[in-house]
Amino acid sequence: MGTAPAQLFPEFLVDTFGLPGVLGEVVASLIGAAVVANIILAFSGVAGPWAKRKITAAFTDRIAVDRIGPFGLLIIPASAVQLLAKELIIPEGVDRPTWDIAPILLPASAMLGFSVIPMGQIGPLNIHLADPEVGLALVFAFASIASVSLVMAGYASNNKYSLLGGLRAVAQNLAYEIPLIVTAMSVVIFAGTLQISGVVGAQTETLATVAGFDIPAWFAFVNPFAFVLFLTANLAEIGRNPFDIPEAPTEIVGGYQTEYSSAYFVLFYLGEFVHIFLGGAILSVVFLGGASGPGPESISFIWFVVKVWGFFLFTQWARAAIPRVRIDQLIEIGWKGMLVLSFANLVLTAVIVGVIA
Amino acid sequence: MSDWIAIGALAAVGVLIPLGMMSVSALLRPSVPETGKSTTYESGETPTGGTRIRFNIQYYMVALLFVVFDIETVLLFPWAVIYRPAIAAGVPMIDLLWPMLAFVGILAIGLVWAWRSGAISWARSPRATSRKTERDLN
Repeated sequence: MGTAPAQLFPEFLVDTFGLPGVLGEVVASLIGAAVVANIILAFSGVAGPWAKRKITAAFTDRIAVDRIGPFGLLIIPASAVQLLAKELIIPEGVDRPTWDIAPILLPASAMLGFSVIPMGQIGPLNIHLADPEVGLALVFAFASIASVSLVMAGYASNNKYSLLGGLRAVAQNLAYEIPLIVTAMSVVIFAGTLQISGVVGAQTETLATVAGFDIPAWFAFVNPFAFVLFLTANLAEIGRNPFDIPEAPTEIVGGYQTEYSSAYFVLFYLGEFVHIFLGGAILSVVFLGGASGPGPESISFIWFVVKVWGFFLFTQWARAAIPRVRIDQLIEIGWKGMLVLSFANLVLTAVIVGVIA
Repeated sequence: MSDWIAIGALAAVGVLIPLGMMSVSALLRPSVPETGKSTTYESGETPTGGTRIRFNIQYYMVALLFVVFDIETVLLFPWAVIYRPAIAAGVPMIDLLWPMLAFVGILAIGLVWAWRSGAISWARSPRATSRKTERDLN
């Protein structure tokens, strides 16, 4: 479908530097993975200590971080050093090593999801690590490992707030996972493949031409109803407002992260941001045409950044504007509303595709 | 070129980064043990009772439902992948549609049953319902 996709990142490295054999592939893959991981770390680093505060301040008519450096940007290294240098308090009765593994698992699993995400091109460089045939199923699988980490943290902390937070996280992810995947399935019906490059490729055709502008067939335009459903389920999946009851600071202190401090806390915080960006990346791949956008292919990384940060802004907007739902409302919205709507969307999409094809 | 080597590489990097941060932190951070510092946090009160207690069964009900629907989505994925190519190959739409409708329909009946039996409406414990607020007393 469409033009042949550009070479994947590791292949590009192998060809450019003439790396031989399996060892060459492993080295190229590791370099590629390090670059991808650093891009995500840079996103989260800018988002966590700086952008989130700035955005919240703008929404609530305040001034935030403006003391260190231009626009207060140097708060990022300052915060990093400060947070890592905090004392680690290990509470009584924690269940180790579960308590130690949970903060590794959350950022690692969210980062792993990026392995199949096409991040667009910088010049000839196509930042896309792998493109297996089961890509879309794989990325949802990776994204949902996060709830395992949350329940591990909640249970191992030996704290009632943490236990509540962990259980709420699971109940929420269970309720919204199915609408999320079933809605994505309606896109798979259009694309006819689970391979990420295929899903993105199916969105490059022109849907309509309005006043000389070609509107691409992004699935958000083809099926806006599914887009709204997916966006809502995605907010719940990453645990942002109005679905932030796993942490709910005004009810259960910090939920699953109540008993964490120092680097362990930073890792949870980092993992959540990586997860938000992964949510944005999945949204852009499935509904917003991947990294495509106006202009030449070689600058499409910019469009990826715009889309992912657009989603991040949206989550922060929701955080400032929408009140949190209660657990009983959450379960009812998920199981009675979204689940039924997502299956209705699937059947309708199948019928429509069948009629027009 | 295997995709799985690249995915494995990112998994390795993804684990190494948190481990690296933990090690750097271990080198930087102080350790100032004090009595009471490591007590379980319960909003400043002395913790009462254990954490591993009998808990709301509702979470279990939701999890049971999830298993059923999750397996359904797994089984529907192959159908969604072949649907459009099969239509393009000339298979009549109704032949492709009815197995899916029957499959989803059976689960829909299950959902209706769960709905009517109250498995997906949050049960309130007698203790929570009987608790009087200040406003109720006035």
